[in-house]
Amino acid sequence: MTSRREWLRRTWRRLWRPPRRLRTTAAGRTYLVLTFGVGLGALNTGNNLLYLVVGLQLSLIVVSGILSERCVRRLRVRRLLPVLPRARTPFHLGWGLRLEKGHAFALAVSEVHPVLGTAVGRLAWLPPDEEVVVRAVASAPRRGPLALETIRVSTTFPFGLFVKSRDIDLGGELLVLPGRVACHPEPPSPASGLGLEQRSLRGLDGGGDLAQLRELREGEDARRIHWRKSAQLGTLLRVERDAQPQPRIMLQLDDRAAPEALDGRCEELAARAEILLARGAEVGLESTGGLRLAPASGALQSQVLLRALARAGYPGEPA
Amino acid sequence: MSSERLRLALRDLAAGAAFAAMAISGQVPLWALAFFVAVLVVALAGRRPLADGRLSALALLAAVVVLYAAVVVEQLDLVVAACSTASMLTAQRMLSRPSPRTTDQVQLASLLMIAGGAVLSADLLFALCFFLYVVLAVLAQGLAVVAEAGPGPLPPVRRVLRPLGLGVALALLGALVFFILFPRLSWNVAARRGGASLGPATTGFADGLRLGGSGLLKSNPRVVFRARIDPDPGTDDLDAYWVGKRFDVFDGVQWSAPGRPEGPARQVVVGRPEPPFVRQEIDLLPAYGSRTLVALDRPAVFGEAETHAPTFTVRTELLPSGDREVRLISASEHVTYRAYSSADRSPAPMVDDVERSRRLQLPSRLDPRIPALARRLSVGAVGDRAIARQLERALQTDYAYTLELPGRVKDPLADFLFDRKAGHCEDFATALAVLLRARQIPARVVVGFHGGERAAGEYLVRAGDAHAWVEAEVDGHVLRLDATPPQHRSAVGSGLLGWLLARWEALQIRWLDRVVEYSFADQARLASEFRRGTGSRSRPESTTGRRDGSVAFALGLLGVALVVAALLGRRAAGGDTERLGRTLQRLLRRQGRLGPAGWLDGAQLDEANLAPVREGITRYREARFGRRPLGPGEGRRLARRARAALRSAPTPSPPAPPRPRAAPRPG
Repeated sequence: MTSRREWLRRTWRRLWRPPRRLRTTAAGRTYLVLTFGVGLGALNTGNNLLYLVVGLQLSLIVVSGILSERCVRRLRVRRLLPVLPRARTPFHLGWGLRLEKGHAFALAVSEVHPVLGTAVGRLAWLPPDEEVVVRAVASAPRRGPLALETIRVSTTFPFGLFVKSRDIDLGGELLVLPGRVACHPEPPSPASGLGLEQRSLRGLDGGGDLAQLRELREGEDARRIHWRKSAQLGTLLRVERDAQPQPRIMLQLDDRAAPEALDGRCEELAARAEILLARGAEVGLESTGGLRLAPASGALQSQVLLRALARAGYPGEPA
Repeated sequence: MSSERLRLALRDLAAGAAFAAMAISGQVPLWALAFFVAVLVVALAGRRPLADGRLSALALLAAVVVLYAAVVVEQLDLVVAACSTASMLTAQRMLSRPSPRTTDQVQLASLLMIAGGAVLSADLLFALCFFLYVVLAVLAQGLAVVAEAGPGPLPPVRRVLRPLGLGVALALLGALVFFILFPRLSWNVAARRGGASLGPATTGFADGLRLGGSGLLKSNPRVVFRARIDPDPGTDDLDAYWVGKRFDVFDGVQWSAPGRPEGPARQVVVGRPEPPFVRQEIDLLPAYGSRTLVALDRPAVFGEAETHAPTFTVRTELLPSGDREVRLISASEHVTYRAYSSADRSPAPMVDDVERSRRLQLPSRLDPRIPALARRLSVGAVGDRAIARQLERALQTDYAYTLELPGRVKDPLADFLFDRKAGHCEDFATALAVLLRARQIPARVVVGFHGGERAAGEYLVRAGDAHAWVEAEVDGHVLRLDATPPQHRSAVGSGLLGWLLARWEALQIRWLDRVVEYSFADQARLASEFRRGTGSRSRPESTTGRRDGSVAFALGLLGVALVVAALLGRRAAGGDTERLGRTLQRLLRRQGRLGPAGWLDGAQLDEANLAPVREGITRYREARFGRRPLGPGEGRRLARRARAALRSAPTPSPPAPPRPRAAPRPG
């Protein structure tokens, strides 16, 4: 039902959207004023040569429309999105442009999007039947999925008087991961509202052959003390084996918070998750909204966690 | 030349063409002309000394203030001041550091100059400047837009020039279409008298003819009127006299014509018209600059005079002054009328005694040597006609023609006859008339034009064709006498220059006819013809009798432009690939190496040194069928290498004819 409504909405918008957009540049505005002035002069004086000049000016406007249309009419575009864009960190948006026939000049490509629309990729020349990738630096202030619907291709060719744009419908999504923040060394307290870490001690014994003995540090598990050697040397020694035990941590997220607060929590948890995973821990995620990711380690788990945190709080989005 | 240098040069040349459009009017101040030419030379040399344009902008502002102050005190025309301002602005921007903004400003200011040129000049040279401006400005602006579009490699210039060439063709075509179709509903609020270019309009007609004046008019090449003559004389150079004004009274220095003009009339009959007549449709151009009408000698009837303004045409009345002159009732830049002249030398109309004595009157302080000279030069001649002819011949042979005169002298006639013995047509005519009067033959001086060059079925008469001669009354007949040596009677050029001038004038006439004087009436006529859907023209005969093929011309131009556009499009799409294929095919065909049915497939290319040819064929196939297009210039490189390889390879022997298959043996 939702998709049908969305389809209807898009169709309605497409029906009422002009096929091309035309915007005048500063020089174009002056040119139009000049054209109006010369036209007025021709009408006033009846001077045929002024009519010829105003005819040329009007004709150049038409020619501008024809040549710019040749640049954008048969253009095909595909979107090249960054894999792990982070909020508040510049990333590259890319578009692959291809024109089957003819040449296109002075192109500018951008997304029709309130956040990403300011990033414009530019290209002086697009040769025929050859894909050229154009990139632009973009930035998103917040985490979350950004729905992309339309790519706008513009050209100022041939005279720089007008910017002709063609909107190409191409659905897509850019998932902006939580921004990078400095991470607290200690787990958050339950009262901080930043979520809880639930550490599991299961499996901390480790396994494998004895690798070495070293001094027990403060806070380490006393069950790992090698009592005999400690008694011999008079200091507490800890057993280390070949296969070290990995801590298994479950990050807790309260996703019922207000959006801004939730963004902060997600960024905090993302930072913690990245640090823990870098240390070799198995990290999972559990939210009050029912999201549960089993603990795991590695780079893939990092991406899974970051994506989950990026989507947290956005209704209707898959976990 | 680098791409940037090229586009800046194109931009500056476009500005130069726009400035030239104004300068050809001759109304741009000399200092502005010199300044702009100097700036153009500096800019084309690649120098941009005004890196920081603030100081020069201040200087420009001061110059503009001075210019408009001159307008306020009526020392300078407002339009000329505006044009000069535009030229100075353009010059300042041309010398500034190049940037996208500067380029836009130069182009927009150039557009202003073109508009200024349209106001100041109506000459055909404007069309040339206009065309150059369109071509150069479109190319320069297109290259600038591509160069400033952003990072990445710039395309080869020729890649951009192709669509821009199409743009130029479409722009010119569009300008023509807009020009034809734009309704000519002028408000006529601020109409400016224009059109006279290359100096002020003049034909030399005045109330009096004063000796000692300079002969500059004789070297003026401007066409002042054109005429269609019926019956058509059919010659390229017309040896005819166009009568303008007759002078009776000579005071020793100046000729004058006494008498007051009669009442205005639509049609004026001069003298006693006798058929057969020569009909003339005369078109006085803006350069004519006089109210006096002309007609072929001997004028009989003037009528159907119309003055043409840009938006309307009105009938006008004429003011006759005996047979001395027919004038327009008011001055106008463009006048058409009809005149009929008597073809026969019929007897002169009877003149009364007063008139006759006026034509015999000699100046009171006439040099006594002149009557003696008249007698001496006519010794042996019997009868008035013989005396007149002998005096005419004597002046033609004994006196030289010159346009270099010493200036004012006390007695210019005596100076001509006895001291300098050289002068121009006015001196010769005056001398002959006075010598005739000294021999009691009534004579008077006539000023007008001599000659006419044929162009587009009409005869063009220039300001330099202005001439003076004598009419004498001999034996009851009017005898035209011309003492000026024949080779100096008109300013008609000869040889290649004359031919070129005639072609140019023909173009100029079409330009004036179809562009400068295009009107609402022409639009209405075109519309009615379009409705009728007939290709043939059945236009009511106009005063100039011109035939206008504007519709057919525009449609033809449209067709040509569409074909050019299609060809350009095809060339842009796959021109290199197709050209490479054709070249390879041609090279292989010459050596008999093509495959079956003349295809590249199966070509005989087994030799090792023919690898470049094989590579060329492979790339051609990839480009044509494999969607791997040729790079810039790659096609030419491949073709060149293939040609070199084939040149060094021996021509293969023709394949042996297939051996006849052996007949099956019976089993």
